[in-house]
Amino acid sequence: MTSPQRRGSGTASLGLGLTLLMAFLLGACGGTPLRPLPAINQRLEQTGSSREPSLSGRWLALISGRNGRERVELVDLELNRPVPLPGLNRPDAQPLSVSVDAAGERVALVRQRDGRTELALYRRSRQSLQPLPLEPPGVPRQVQLSADGRVLAVQVSRGGLWQVDLIELP
Amino acid sequence: MVVACALLISGCAVPWARRSGPAPPAGWSSNLSRQDPALSGDGRLLASVVERQGRSTVLLQERASGRVLPLRHLSRWQPHSSPSLSWRGRYLALIVQRGGRRLAVIEDRLTNRLLPLPLPGGREPVRLSLAADGQRLALQLVAAGRWRVEVFELGGVLEVDPPGGQLLRNPGAPLP
Repeated sequence: MTSPQRRGSGTASLGLGLTLLMAFLLGACGGTPLRPLPAINQRLEQTGSSREPSLSGRWLALISGRNGRERVELVDLELNRPVPLPGLNRPDAQPLSVSVDAAGERVALVRQRDGRTELALYRRSRQSLQPLPLEPPGVPRQVQLSADGRVLAVQVSRGGLWQVDLIELP
Repeated sequence: MVVACALLISGCAVPWARRSGPAPPAGWSSNLSRQDPALSGDGRLLASVVERQGRSTVLLQERASGRVLPLRHLSRWQPHSSPSLSWRGRYLALIVQRGGRRLAVIEDRLTNRLLPLPLPGGREPVRLSLAADGQRLALQLVAAGRWRVEVFELGGVLEVDPPGGQLLRNPGAPLP
């Protein structure tokens, strides 16, 4: 018959073995498994197709849509719900890229409208969308706003070459 | 008069844009094709994807000086895509190609570690965005034939990179 002391020692050995096995398996997979946020992901799933994520602070900006009609959405991750963006989305505009700052105040956007591709900046407190013309002219594609909202980097096509412009914002 | 009108019109169209210009040159090619720009949260660093020897490779630079910063773990596993930086640029997240599959990874420039982030179910990322504090990661994936964004928790995996935080344990030391 096994003594309690020996049983305790066996349990400890088993625990150590399992820990080592798990460490080995994780190492064999070559990385850290990602932990999904189920409540947020479930809500995102309900919005239909979604792409072009931009995370900053408590905010997630993305392009979502159903049946080919896409719109910019800004989700408050702390409350797990979208906030209204009056004046940003238009039925005749197709968003291509979106980026939000950490305060959730500024949203940079590249969109196609009337056959043109334009860069614009939305300010949530003012509910206003302002175009940002490129100089020299070019066709914007990908935009990213620094989390402090002060600098914007945009990928621009000029003369068949992709370039990056930096725009400082007050 | 014409100039005054032009100024007024441009002022109405762009009341906030103060200064714009090209990204700093990388030093080895004047007609560099550059895509996928990403700024650190404080705007000090710029990551972008450039073509080097026919391979899409991430390039990290100081925005003001154009100085190219070394990335020790990312000289292979091209093509690179979708870079994303934390507040002070301690973390650079991006998508690499490893063994024929796309994989999200994070290079920690402070500890000089590379953190591969395999997805549950063997799925592959298309684009990513790292929260500036390094505590969450959003991935664009393909699921059931459509794009889908999912958010993942990195708290406990990465230390916070705060906005006013310290990039290096020894701030006077050169960047790794």
